[in-house]
Amino acid sequence: MIQNDIAILAPEIALSVYAMVALLAAVYTTKDRMAPLLVWTTSALFVVLAAWIGLTGRGTQVAFEGMFVSDAFARFAKVTVLLSAAAVLVMSEKYMEKRGLLRFEYPLLIALAVVGMMVMVSAGDLMVLYMGLELQSLSLYVVAALRRDSIKSTEAGLKYFVLGALSSGLLLYGCSLVYGFAGTTLFGGIIAAAGDGHTPLGLLFGLVFVTAGLAFKVSAAPFHMWTPDVYEGSPTPVTAFFATAPKVAAMALFARVVHDAFGGVVGDWQQIVALLAVASMFLGAVAAIGQRDIKRLMAYSSINHMGFALMGLAAGTAFGVQAMLVYMAIYVTMNIGTFAFILSMERDGVPVVRIDALNMYSKTHPARALAVLVLMFSMAGVPPLVGFFGKFYVFNAAIDAGMLWLAACGAVASAIAAFYYLRIVYYMYFGEEGEALDTGGNPILWGFLMVSAAAMVLGVINLFGVEGAAAAAAATLVN
Amino acid sequence: MAGGRRGNGLAGVLPIAISAALFLYFLAMIPDVAASGALVIHWQWVPSLDIALSWRLDGLSLTFALLISGIGTLVMLYSNSYLRGHPQYARFALFLTSFMLAMLGLVLSDNLIALFVFWELTTITSYLLIGFGHETPKGRRSALQALFVTGAGALAMLAGLILLGRAAGSFELSDILRMGPEIRAHEHYTAILILVLAGAFTKSAQVPFHFWLPNAMAAPTPVSAFLHSATMVKAGVYLMARLHPTLSGTDAWLWSLTIAGAVTAVYASFKALSQTDLKQALAYTTLMALGTLTLFLGQQSGYAITAFATFLIVHSLYKAALFLVVGCIDHATGTREAEVLGGLARAMPITAAAAALSALSMAGFPPFLGFIGKELKYAGALAVASEPMFVAGAVLLSNALMLAVAGVVAFRPFWRRNEQPLPRAPHEAPWPMLAGPVILAILGALFGLWPDLLQTTLVDRTVQAVTGGDLEAKELKLWAGVNMPLILSIATFVLGLLLYAVHRPLRRGLQAFFARMISLDGRWDGFLDAVKGLSAWQTRTIQNGRLQSYLTITFAVVLVTLGGTMLARQVWPAAPEVGEVRWSHIAIVLLIIGGTLLAAFTRSRITAVAGLGVVGIGVAMVFIVFGAPDVAITQLLVETLVVVLVAVAMLRLPFLDRKGESDWRPGHLLLGTALGATVTAILLAVLETPLDRRLTDFFETASWPEAFGRNVVNVILVDFRALDTFGEIAVVVIAALAAYALLRTTAGRRP
Repeated sequence: MIQNDIAILAPEIALSVYAMVALLAAVYTTKDRMAPLLVWTTSALFVVLAAWIGLTGRGTQVAFEGMFVSDAFARFAKVTVLLSAAAVLVMSEKYMEKRGLLRFEYPLLIALAVVGMMVMVSAGDLMVLYMGLELQSLSLYVVAALRRDSIKSTEAGLKYFVLGALSSGLLLYGCSLVYGFAGTTLFGGIIAAAGDGHTPLGLLFGLVFVTAGLAFKVSAAPFHMWTPDVYEGSPTPVTAFFATAPKVAAMALFARVVHDAFGGVVGDWQQIVALLAVASMFLGAVAAIGQRDIKRLMAYSSINHMGFALMGLAAGTAFGVQAMLVYMAIYVTMNIGTFAFILSMERDGVPVVRIDALNMYSKTHPARALAVLVLMFSMAGVPPLVGFFGKFYVFNAAIDAGMLWLAACGAVASAIAAFYYLRIVYYMYFGEEGEALDTGGNPILWGFLMVSAAAMVLGVINLFGVEGAAAAAAATLVN
Repeated sequence: MAGGRRGNGLAGVLPIAISAALFLYFLAMIPDVAASGALVIHWQWVPSLDIALSWRLDGLSLTFALLISGIGTLVMLYSNSYLRGHPQYARFALFLTSFMLAMLGLVLSDNLIALFVFWELTTITSYLLIGFGHETPKGRRSALQALFVTGAGALAMLAGLILLGRAAGSFELSDILRMGPEIRAHEHYTAILILVLAGAFTKSAQVPFHFWLPNAMAAPTPVSAFLHSATMVKAGVYLMARLHPTLSGTDAWLWSLTIAGAVTAVYASFKALSQTDLKQALAYTTLMALGTLTLFLGQQSGYAITAFATFLIVHSLYKAALFLVVGCIDHATGTREAEVLGGLARAMPITAAAAALSALSMAGFPPFLGFIGKELKYAGALAVASEPMFVAGAVLLSNALMLAVAGVVAFRPFWRRNEQPLPRAPHEAPWPMLAGPVILAILGALFGLWPDLLQTTLVDRTVQAVTGGDLEAKELKLWAGVNMPLILSIATFVLGLLLYAVHRPLRRGLQAFFARMISLDGRWDGFLDAVKGLSAWQTRTIQNGRLQSYLTITFAVVLVTLGGTMLARQVWPAAPEVGEVRWSHIAIVLLIIGGTLLAAFTRSRITAVAGLGVVGIGVAMVFIVFGAPDVAITQLLVETLVVVLVAVAMLRLPFLDRKGESDWRPGHLLLGTALGATVTAILLAVLETPLDRRLTDFFETASWPEAFGRNVVNVILVDFRALDTFGEIAVVVIAALAAYALLRTTAGRRP
């Protein structure tokens, strides 16, 4: 019985044990000198786990009487989380080392955060949900403040912590209300209590609080305020991490809660999610226009993208979830490439984050400039690049669900958002001559940039088969 | 070739070869299409989204394909010489070729989404081409403007196309074209029409979205000739023609196209006459042509559609030729100002001849194709069912103005006496630059003399494709006898020549008039500034970096969400059932209120923490009074720990200078009160519905038989949930240890 449960949790357990053993080993031996090695072993372990989960997982398995679910949906999210975390870790090694930030805690905190995310996306119970969420959040609070000597970084960590704690509070308040009226914290029980047409008021307000808490975690407007400050203040590799894996995990968790626990009362949360989507799309689009710092710009860009992903979720259908998953997979791929480029931006060894530093970049580095151009066009959702298909999926899902107004808002918002992506292209190709930007020197970053840009072009052929996996994942979640 | 500069090498030759090969290929397809009507080829792409790469070759797409590849070949040849030795010619050639291929994809796609993809590709490549002259701020602004106006329209169109595909159950044009009646009766028809036309009107620069097109003329001349007259701007017209069998025939279609087309045609003709820059004048005549084409697409009659098909070809031929001629003039003399140029015929005889032939076709003189086009336009206008005089009047006015403009652009610079010195001595352009205008001008005359050539190959099949096979094309004839169109034609000549005679004073009047008109172009900068201002405003007010305001906003949003849910669900709190009230109850409530007020109004942080502690202890006492001593103990322990830990942490913090801040913050007071009141109301309402009592019942019945205890609370603590209790104790101990560590390390220190 319990062996069975443990077998289902084996990947999570393996990663946790690894993180704790490595932590002790590093503390008692060489400390920070071990950090580069830990970065590589951690990301190798991520890749191995992703392969293990992706290749051997079959069907739907339930552990601990439904508290932990391993199904196609969880596997899709886990593979995406693990691979993107591995990529970001590898990308950050040289950057962190150069700036004296490569502490041994860094890869291990990331590993613990990833364990939290894996638990989140597999949660079948409010308690497990909270456990995963807090494990992830607590690790990330520390990582955000990793640069202890920088006021900006510590401030980012503090803001993240205070607002994150507030959101956790809202979430827990909602959970208690739900528990009080459903009599259980299991999603299966909640859906039974909520599913008979009329939602009890306690459950309804519980749902509102839980949604507000989750909106924080996906940084959907108007709960987004932490995002730009934290993105700007954190060390760039940490920002890259924030922009990728946790977003996927939080979106997947969001989908799981609204479908697994509240799938019977779609009408009760659909409008809230749709409003979050619209607010995020527009705020992300408009606010980014004024930004001069590329990290802040990416923060708003991520808010904007979350709005589109939420649009898929707001459809409340299996196709909507599929659209959301495809969108997130594409989003993560684009962001890895873009951050690989941002990490490489420097002048005389000092990182540069101003957008106007890109002036006439195409002259000095034509190949890289072209790759960034492809990524930016893809982010803006310009066909035929892969980013367009993500947007097309969610538009389709919204229209399919009879939410034409939502799709129309999305179209307007993506026109506004195109403005700032194109401004980057504009600086690179049409800008005025300025001090040259140095971006060479790190083949790993170059590789990630080029592979990501190539994926945006080549993915057009069949999206690398992601849609099939996403469809299977969505089918297990919504039924 | 003249000049010692290096040629463009492979980058110059390859695009010419590609486009010529394509042109020949499409030429060879003419018999097949003429025989079978439409050829469809199908390749799968993204099956789950019903996106396919399927191609459709019928009269309409073949006409467009021939125009695109044919004029493309001539433009490539021309630009190879025009931009000879330009350091970035390879890039230019790449953009131009990509644009041409995208444009071909657009007109050949049989799948709506693939069509949209190509549509956007033309937008992007044109952005890069317009911005090619990016040394000037004007060039950069125009490129961006063109991109946004057409891009925004395209996104609206995407929504329309998705709706259309959903309504038809397929994204394949072959299916959609057969479903006209179903689509027109569909509940979303109006939405589809508005969204699709938004895309078509922005792309084809119909009033009021017209302002980007004249600005886009900042591009190099070959680009203007190719994109902004012959091909890209006609994409919108193409889409309307393509969907004509499905969407047309309703009043909404008729009136939106007729009015937009007529207004654009007349407005643009006047605007064209008010220009002194030859290229700008041509830009506005293009606008006029697009308006006319739209106008005719609004109609149903065979004459109107034949007029559309003919004028489409006529216009592309003469307009591309004239643009290239203006490029030659600019190239040779260094200016495009109508008032400066003169007497060029002597130095540039071939250019002058080509210009004259094209201008005669544009003005609609016989025996050119332009004449036939004009006759058909009048016939088409008179065949309009509801308001023939309105349409015919608009066509007459714009044609007469066109004649005057043709004189200004293609006649005066060559034949009038030279009054002012030119920036450069004029010379004849090299042959690759002459080939285009000459060939196009000759074709205009050739087709005019033998209209059958065009009729059987292209026009018949185009009309068939646009009308969905319902109507036959009318005959293209030079001489159709004395009839109403001929009379109108004669009126056009008279009026046009009159206008030409007075065009200089008229121009001044028009310039003064247009200067006073509100234009969207002027609003464009204001719009951009407004968006940027909004962005800056949000950074200042929402994203100001202060945690305090973030929290304020968050609480406000929570308040609105909760209140909104209450309103939407019509939830009202019921008055709670108050049982026996004892003095101890009142005392506890007063204690809690006192603690709250203390925390809210004190200036000292430590006092605030203590106040919150009092609130917590009050809550613990509530638990005691209502029979839950275990919960009360946990609450007390946690509360004490929190107070100690926070106080210790605060002792380490520096004093903040709060002189600048006011203690009186009515906004926060209001927000706090409102949120508290709302949550209270919600709880009161929620408690109306019974809680799930399964667990309570279970413990009450099971405590004696299973755990041998009658005190249910005790049994739960030590028996049923012993592990939980153990966990709680562990947590409290860990917290206490942390508190001890904190106290020990911070004793006596304060920064």
